[in-house]
Amino acid sequence: MEKAHKPKKVFVQGPISPDFVAKSIASHQSKTGIGAHAIFLGQIRADQKEGGAVTGIDYTAYEEMAEQAFHDIREAAFARFELTCMHIYHSLGLVPTGEISLFVFVSSPHRRAAFEASEFIVEEIKANVPIFGKELVGEGHVWKQNT
Amino acid sequence: MRVIGLNEYQVRMSFQVKYFGMLAEIAGLSDEVWNAAGGLTVGQFRAQMLDKYPAMRDKKFKIAVNQKISEDFVLIETPAEIALLPPFAGG
Repeated sequence: MEKAHKPKKVFVQGPISPDFVAKSIASHQSKTGIGAHAIFLGQIRADQKEGGAVTGIDYTAYEEMAEQAFHDIREAAFARFELTCMHIYHSLGLVPTGEISLFVFVSSPHRRAAFEASEFIVEEIKANVPIFGKELVGEGHVWKQNT
Repeated sequence: MRVIGLNEYQVRMSFQVKYFGMLAEIAGLSDEVWNAAGGLTVGQFRAQMLDKYPAMRDKKFKIAVNQKISEDFVLIETPAEIALLPPFAGG
Protein backbone atom coordinates (compact mmCIF):
# COMPACT_ATOMS: atom_id res chain seq x y z
CA MET A 1 0.00 0.00 0.00
CA GLU A 2 1.17 3.50 -0.78
CA LYS A 3 2.09 5.81 2.02
CA ALA A 4 -0.83 8.08 2.81
CA HIS A 5 -0.01 11.70 3.44
CA LYS A 6 -2.37 13.81 5.45
CA PRO A 7 -3.86 16.78 3.59
CA LYS A 8 -1.96 19.89 4.61
CA LYS A 9 -2.98 23.48 4.69
CA VAL A 10 -1.42 25.24 1.71
CA PHE A 11 -3.03 28.67 1.60
CA VAL A 12 -1.77 31.55 3.68
CA GLN A 13 -3.26 35.03 3.78
CA GLY A 14 -0.98 37.66 2.22
CA PRO A 15 2.75 37.36 1.42
CA ILE A 16 5.00 34.55 2.67
CA SER A 17 7.69 36.12 4.85
CA PRO A 18 11.43 35.34 4.52
CA ASP A 19 11.33 34.69 8.27
CA PHE A 20 8.78 31.90 7.74
CA VAL A 21 11.06 30.36 5.07
CA ALA A 22 14.05 30.54 7.44
CA LYS A 23 12.11 28.89 10.26
CA SER A 24 10.94 26.14 7.90
CA ILE A 25 14.58 25.36 7.05
CA ALA A 26 15.58 25.38 10.71
CA SER A 27 12.80 22.96 11.64
CA HIS A 28 14.42 20.29 9.44
CA GLN A 29 17.77 20.17 11.25
CA SER A 30 16.62 17.20 13.31
CA LYS A 31 15.80 15.14 10.20
CA THR A 32 19.31 13.85 9.65
CA GLY A 33 18.40 11.49 6.78
CA ILE A 34 18.07 14.57 4.59
CA GLY A 35 21.07 15.49 2.45
CA ALA A 36 19.47 17.99 0.08
CA HIS A 37 16.76 20.62 0.21
CA ALA A 38 15.41 22.38 -2.87
CA ILE A 39 13.43 25.56 -2.41
CA PHE A 40 11.42 27.42 -5.01
CA LEU A 41 10.13 30.90 -4.21
CA GLY A 42 7.72 32.70 -6.51
CA GLN A 43 8.08 36.49 -6.28
CA ILE A 44 5.69 39.14 -7.65
CA ARG A 45 7.27 40.86 -10.64
CA ALA A 46 6.68 44.51 -11.57
CA ASP A 47 5.64 43.72 -15.16
CA GLN A 48 4.95 46.72 -17.37
CA LYS A 49 1.34 46.82 -18.54
CA GLU A 50 -0.76 49.38 -20.33
CA GLY A 51 -1.39 51.88 -17.54
CA GLY A 52 1.83 51.31 -15.63
CA ALA A 53 3.76 48.73 -13.65
CA VAL A 54 2.18 45.90 -11.67
CA THR A 55 2.16 46.87 -7.98
CA GLY A 56 0.86 43.58 -6.61
CA ILE A 57 -1.33 40.56 -7.27
CA ASP A 58 -4.61 39.88 -5.50
CA TYR A 59 -5.04 36.08 -5.42
CA THR A 60 -8.28 34.16 -5.13
CA ALA A 61 -8.92 30.44 -5.53
CA TYR A 62 -11.60 27.81 -5.81
CA GLU A 63 -10.31 26.69 -2.47
CA GLU A 64 -11.90 23.24 -2.07
CA MET A 65 -10.82 22.16 -5.55
CA ALA A 66 -7.39 23.76 -5.12
CA GLU A 67 -6.72 21.95 -1.82
CA GLN A 68 -7.57 18.66 -3.54
CA ALA A 69 -5.32 19.53 -6.49
CA PHE A 70 -2.42 20.33 -4.12
CA HIS A 71 -3.01 17.03 -2.36
CA ASP A 72 -2.91 15.14 -5.68
CA ILE A 73 0.34 16.92 -6.64
CA ARG A 74 1.90 15.98 -3.28
CA GLU A 75 0.91 12.33 -3.72
CA ALA A 76 2.25 12.28 -7.29
CA ALA A 77 5.56 13.85 -6.22
CA PHE A 78 6.03 11.38 -3.35
CA ALA A 79 5.31 8.51 -5.76
CA ARG A 80 7.76 9.75 -8.43
CA PHE A 81 10.71 11.03 -6.41
CA GLU A 82 12.67 9.86 -3.40
CA LEU A 83 11.54 12.52 -0.97
CA THR A 84 11.79 12.76 2.80
CA CYS A 85 9.32 15.60 3.07
CA MET A 86 7.55 18.28 1.13
CA HIS A 87 5.89 21.58 1.99
CA ILE A 88 3.87 23.83 -0.29
CA TYR A 89 2.52 27.26 0.64
CA HIS A 90 0.63 29.66 -1.62
CA SER A 91 -0.72 33.12 -0.88
CA LEU A 92 -4.29 34.31 -1.06
CA GLY A 93 -5.25 37.98 -1.01
CA LEU A 94 -2.88 40.80 -1.82
CA VAL A 95 0.83 40.19 -2.35
CA PRO A 96 2.76 43.37 -3.23
CA THR A 97 5.46 43.44 -5.89
CA GLY A 98 8.76 42.05 -4.63
CA GLU A 99 7.15 39.77 -2.07
CA ILE A 100 6.78 35.99 -2.07
CA SER A 101 3.53 34.25 -3.11
CA LEU A 102 4.69 30.64 -3.56
CA PHE A 103 7.02 28.56 -1.37
CA VAL A 104 7.83 25.00 -2.42
CA PHE A 105 10.21 23.14 -0.13
CA VAL A 106 11.29 19.56 -0.85
CA SER A 107 13.84 17.47 1.02
CA SER A 108 15.56 14.28 -0.02
CA PRO A 109 18.59 12.20 0.86
CA HIS A 110 20.15 13.31 -2.47
CA ARG A 111 20.14 16.42 -4.67
CA ARG A 112 18.80 14.98 -7.93
CA ALA A 113 15.40 14.06 -6.49
CA ALA A 114 15.12 17.42 -4.74
CA PHE A 115 15.89 19.40 -7.93
CA GLU A 116 13.52 17.36 -10.09
CA ALA A 117 10.68 17.25 -7.59
CA SER A 118 10.70 21.00 -7.05
CA GLU A 119 10.43 21.67 -10.78
CA PHE A 120 7.70 19.06 -11.18
CA ILE A 121 5.66 20.52 -8.31
CA VAL A 122 5.90 24.13 -9.51
CA GLU A 123 4.89 23.19 -13.07
CA GLU A 124 1.94 21.15 -11.80
CA ILE A 125 0.76 24.02 -9.59
CA LYS A 126 0.89 26.49 -12.46
CA ALA A 127 -1.04 24.18 -14.80
CA ASN A 128 -3.57 22.44 -12.58
CA VAL A 129 -4.51 24.40 -9.46
CA PRO A 130 -7.51 26.75 -9.76
CA ILE A 131 -5.89 29.92 -8.47
CA PHE A 132 -6.68 33.30 -10.04
CA GLY A 133 -4.61 36.47 -9.94
CA LYS A 134 -5.65 40.07 -10.38
CA GLU A 135 -2.58 42.13 -11.26
CA LEU A 136 -2.99 45.62 -9.88
CA VAL A 137 -1.89 48.39 -12.25
CA GLY A 138 -2.43 52.01 -11.27
CA GLU A 139 -6.14 52.47 -10.56
CA GLY A 140 -7.10 49.42 -12.60
CA HIS A 141 -6.15 45.77 -13.01
CA VAL A 142 -5.51 42.99 -15.51
CA TRP A 143 -6.06 39.28 -14.99
CA LYS A 144 -2.93 37.14 -14.85
CA GLN A 145 -2.73 34.01 -16.97
CA ASN A 146 -0.06 31.32 -16.67
CA THR A 147 1.65 30.36 -19.92
CA MET B 1 -50.47 2.59 -22.04
CA ARG B 2 -47.50 4.68 -23.01
CA VAL B 3 -44.50 5.31 -20.83
CA ILE B 4 -43.83 8.99 -20.46
CA GLY B 5 -40.22 9.90 -21.26
CA LEU B 6 -38.30 12.17 -18.94
CA ASN B 7 -38.11 14.91 -21.54
CA GLU B 8 -41.91 14.95 -21.88
CA TYR B 9 -42.32 15.26 -18.16
CA GLN B 10 -40.89 18.76 -17.75
CA VAL B 11 -38.54 17.80 -14.95
CA ARG B 12 -36.80 20.88 -13.59
CA MET B 13 -33.43 20.97 -11.92
CA SER B 14 -31.45 23.53 -10.01
CA PHE B 15 -27.83 23.66 -8.95
CA GLN B 16 -25.22 25.99 -7.52
CA VAL B 17 -22.95 27.93 -9.91
CA LYS B 18 -19.72 29.58 -8.77
CA TYR B 19 -17.79 32.23 -10.70
CA PHE B 20 -14.13 33.05 -10.26
CA GLY B 21 -11.71 35.76 -11.32
CA MET B 22 -12.70 37.81 -14.35
CA LEU B 23 -15.88 35.73 -14.77
CA ALA B 24 -17.13 36.78 -11.31
CA GLU B 25 -16.38 40.33 -12.40
CA ILE B 26 -18.48 39.93 -15.57
CA ALA B 27 -21.35 38.18 -13.79
CA GLY B 28 -21.24 40.74 -10.98
CA LEU B 29 -21.53 37.95 -8.40
CA SER B 30 -19.55 34.98 -7.15
CA ASP B 31 -22.35 32.42 -6.98
CA GLU B 32 -25.98 31.88 -7.85
CA VAL B 33 -28.59 29.14 -8.16
CA TRP B 34 -29.21 28.01 -11.74
CA ASN B 35 -32.65 26.72 -12.72
CA ALA B 36 -33.03 24.69 -15.90
CA ALA B 37 -34.94 21.88 -17.56
CA GLY B 38 -33.75 18.43 -16.50
CA GLY B 39 -31.25 16.41 -18.53
CA LEU B 40 -28.90 19.33 -19.06
CA THR B 41 -25.39 18.67 -20.34
CA VAL B 42 -22.35 20.81 -19.55
CA GLY B 43 -22.38 22.07 -23.16
CA GLN B 44 -26.04 23.10 -22.93
CA PHE B 45 -25.35 24.81 -19.63
CA ARG B 46 -22.44 26.67 -21.26
CA ALA B 47 -24.78 27.92 -24.02
CA GLN B 48 -27.34 29.16 -21.46
CA MET B 49 -24.55 30.84 -19.53
CA LEU B 50 -23.29 32.69 -22.62
CA ASP B 51 -26.85 33.83 -23.38
CA LYS B 52 -27.17 35.26 -19.90
CA TYR B 53 -23.68 36.80 -19.84
CA PRO B 54 -22.73 37.63 -23.46
CA ALA B 55 -19.51 39.32 -22.27
CA MET B 56 -18.17 35.84 -21.43
CA ARG B 57 -18.26 34.83 -25.10
CA ASP B 58 -14.73 35.98 -25.84
CA LYS B 59 -13.31 34.67 -22.54
CA LYS B 60 -11.56 31.35 -22.14
CA PHE B 61 -12.87 29.22 -19.30
CA LYS B 62 -13.31 25.66 -18.14
CA ILE B 63 -16.32 24.23 -16.36
CA ALA B 64 -15.89 22.06 -13.29
CA VAL B 65 -18.70 19.82 -12.07
CA ASN B 66 -18.28 18.86 -8.42
CA GLN B 67 -14.66 20.06 -8.61
CA LYS B 68 -13.76 18.01 -11.70
CA ILE B 69 -13.09 19.73 -15.03
CA SER B 70 -15.80 18.37 -17.32
CA GLU B 71 -16.30 17.94 -21.06
CA ASP B 72 -19.37 19.37 -22.82
CA PHE B 73 -21.06 15.99 -23.28
CA VAL B 74 -21.25 15.29 -19.54
CA LEU B 75 -24.77 15.20 -18.12
CA ILE B 76 -25.25 17.36 -15.03
CA GLU B 77 -26.73 15.33 -12.21
CA THR B 78 -28.01 17.10 -9.12
CA PRO B 79 -26.96 17.84 -6.49
CA ALA B 80 -24.15 19.54 -8.35
CA GLU B 81 -21.77 22.38 -7.81
CA ILE B 82 -20.69 23.93 -11.10
CA ALA B 83 -17.73 26.29 -11.25
CA LEU B 84 -16.58 28.52 -14.10
CA LEU B 85 -12.81 28.66 -14.06
CA PRO B 86 -10.85 31.26 -16.04
CA PRO B 87 -7.17 30.58 -16.87
CA PHE B 88 -5.12 29.61 -13.81
CA ALA B 89 -2.58 32.04 -12.42
CA GLY B 90 -0.98 30.28 -9.45
CA GLY B 91 2.70 30.67 -8.65
